[in-house]
Amino acid sequence: MTSASDAVVTASDAVVTGVGLALPGARHTADLLRTTREPAEPVDPGTLIGRRGLRYKDRATQLALCAAQDVLRSSGLLPADGEGGLTVPGDSVGVAVSSNLGNLDTVCEVASAIAAETTSRISPMALPNASSNVIASSVAMQHGLRGPNLMFCNGPTSGLDAVYWAAALVSAGRCDRVVVIGVETANAVVEGLLGEPAERLLDGAVALVVESGPAARARGARPMAALGPYTRRGSVRAVVERVLPGGRPAPAIWFTSQEQPPALATPGFPDAPRHDPTGVFGRADGALGVLQCAAAVGRFGTHPSGTALITTGDDTDDAVAGLLLHSAREERP
Amino acid sequence: MNWAITGTGAVASIGRDTDEVFDALCAGRSGRALLRGFDSRAYRAAHAYEIDDRPADGADVPARATAWLLRAVAEALRDAGLDEDLSGTPVIVGTGLRELRSVELKWCESADFDLGGLHFGTALRERFGATWTYTISNACSASLHALAMGSDLLTAGTAEAVVVAGVDTITASMFGLLDRVQLDPPDRVRPFDQNRRGTLMGDGAAAVVLTREDHPAARLARGRLRAASMNCDASHPTAPDPAGIAQAIRLAHEQAGIKADDVDLVLLHGTGTALNDEAEATALCDVFGSGIGLPLMTAVKSMTGHTSGGSGLLGLIVAVRALAAGRVPPTIALDTPAGVAGRFRFATGATPPEEPERLRIAQVDAFGFGGVNAVAIVEGVAA
Repeated sequence: MTSASDAVVTASDAVVTGVGLALPGARHTADLLRTTREPAEPVDPGTLIGRRGLRYKDRATQLALCAAQDVLRSSGLLPADGEGGLTVPGDSVGVAVSSNLGNLDTVCEVASAIAAETTSRISPMALPNASSNVIASSVAMQHGLRGPNLMFCNGPTSGLDAVYWAAALVSAGRCDRVVVIGVETANAVVEGLLGEPAERLLDGAVALVVESGPAARARGARPMAALGPYTRRGSVRAVVERVLPGGRPAPAIWFTSQEQPPALATPGFPDAPRHDPTGVFGRADGALGVLQCAAAVGRFGTHPSGTALITTGDDTDDAVAGLLLHSAREERP
Repeated sequence: MNWAITGTGAVASIGRDTDEVFDALCAGRSGRALLRGFDSRAYRAAHAYEIDDRPADGADVPARATAWLLRAVAEALRDAGLDEDLSGTPVIVGTGLRELRSVELKWCESADFDLGGLHFGTALRERFGATWTYTISNACSASLHALAMGSDLLTAGTAEAVVVAGVDTITASMFGLLDRVQLDPPDRVRPFDQNRRGTLMGDGAAAVVLTREDHPAARLARGRLRAASMNCDASHPTAPDPAGIAQAIRLAHEQAGIKADDVDLVLLHGTGTALNDEAEATALCDVFGSGIGLPLMTAVKSMTGHTSGGSGLLGLIVAVRALAAGRVPPTIALDTPAGVAGRFRFATGATPPEEPERLRIAQVDAFGFGGVNAVAIVEGVAA
């Protein structure tokens, strides 16, 4: 098709105003930069947000609800002391969740139960979980978020795609801010389908609030990072060329998910230290892009200038997505 | 908003392309048949609206939804007079159930299926060279959510043309869970009828090419997209909320710069469940007020079954065709409208001769589990 679109997009003036975590062994964004795996207990949603309303919710939804509450408090959209409801109108808040594997357990368990007997054997309470958007809509329901509600199931790049689309929703004026969540979980079905043991799979959720700069300023929220250009293309090299034309600005860190990232000083790739949080937290699938962005915010916490290059996917996937995050200090005025 | 709808593609139980689907709908032909894809002994419901292209009876194979999607996209490109190179074009696919049927086959029958095919980007890259692709899973309104996203890319100037699509195939888990909760399962989908008993699923895919006005393909536009709204009820996991639906309709009217009175045709979501039909009818009465009897209304799920995430875009394609051709498909199996739907002016038989003149603007409804609502407004172009 004739098209002059150049596939580099910048959602103008979108900033990150909150990070929320529901990860084993990580309480703060700085923990996302660890390079060694330490033993950690699985996340217990009942302890974090109370058991009320969690019954019949699948684990991916429960983890997402934990991260959602954390990010709404950290961004000031919910009072930090837990008293009272949203500090902004519900229809000004959208939701963009990314998960590829979240409800595969329900789908496969129900299908095998029917194959073994009949539909009279299955629990009707599983119905909402059979629809893959159950995570995004449950988060909206829990907190009365009535803006656009999108569920990304877009393969390896899905998390970063959700972050970009959150900014796009804000730029389009569809809402002022979006709760972005990346979540995956480990269970027997996912292990079986992927052929990976549970200890190599992420069992957790990460959340961001992506907000329009003016809306953040209007409510006195502190930006933690600003979104730069994003693209989705056929290879890591093509993505890097697009979001960092001529290698500039030279990033301070490169979050990459390639199994074997190019060696330092390889032409065409930034000469920045590389970090891949999946080494510590496990294969993150649809949650990865959000996890990387949260880790970038953690990095800005200790190195408050510079930019982070984020790429998800590698050349064997259907595409690679890339995004540049600027530290809040470098946010354009 | 004013984007050209320059090509359409559709596949459903009743037809293999847009022409076949539209002609079948206008003829009141239903795709309803005895359940063929699954072992019928395991289910109470005995019917569905399937595309039965499996290799043999009782032998299901993975990636059938993907094949329909590719077919619909190829048709839409052909219809728009464009080639199949999508390397620089965004493709947004809305789906309720992705390739979850293939996952079921892998899990239950050890079918050969790579999880890389669970989202549609993998196949879209192989077939069209597309890398700027998104699969969003937004229940039964997924494809109109995809439409809203695609229109935003045009508005932002990020792209000059986008392909928007929707697809779903019936999964055993969803068909089975609906079977479990509909204690007296329906033998057909009867939207808005007093004796409706619930919904039955259908297979299908739909695709449109959407371009800016200055794109070469826009010269042959089949219709124009004037609005695509989206919001969330944030109220119940499976039951729709009339207030949220009414808000989605108002947002669409506002975005299109029209009033309810300007709507000449409504493609209803109309799933045939009491919950949906009552909520949709209440919301429409709220928004249209005393003018509720003016627009012509139709519910094509009476012939396609509930095609889930693809159904909204299928409705949009039908709307665009109806506006251009001056023919509106009837709602079949509708004897006595239930409750406030009694005030609707349903299309039931052949479109009266005076009607085509009036048909200019159509509203397309799509609502999904989790309270995700999306409503589109399209304007016809003279055939």
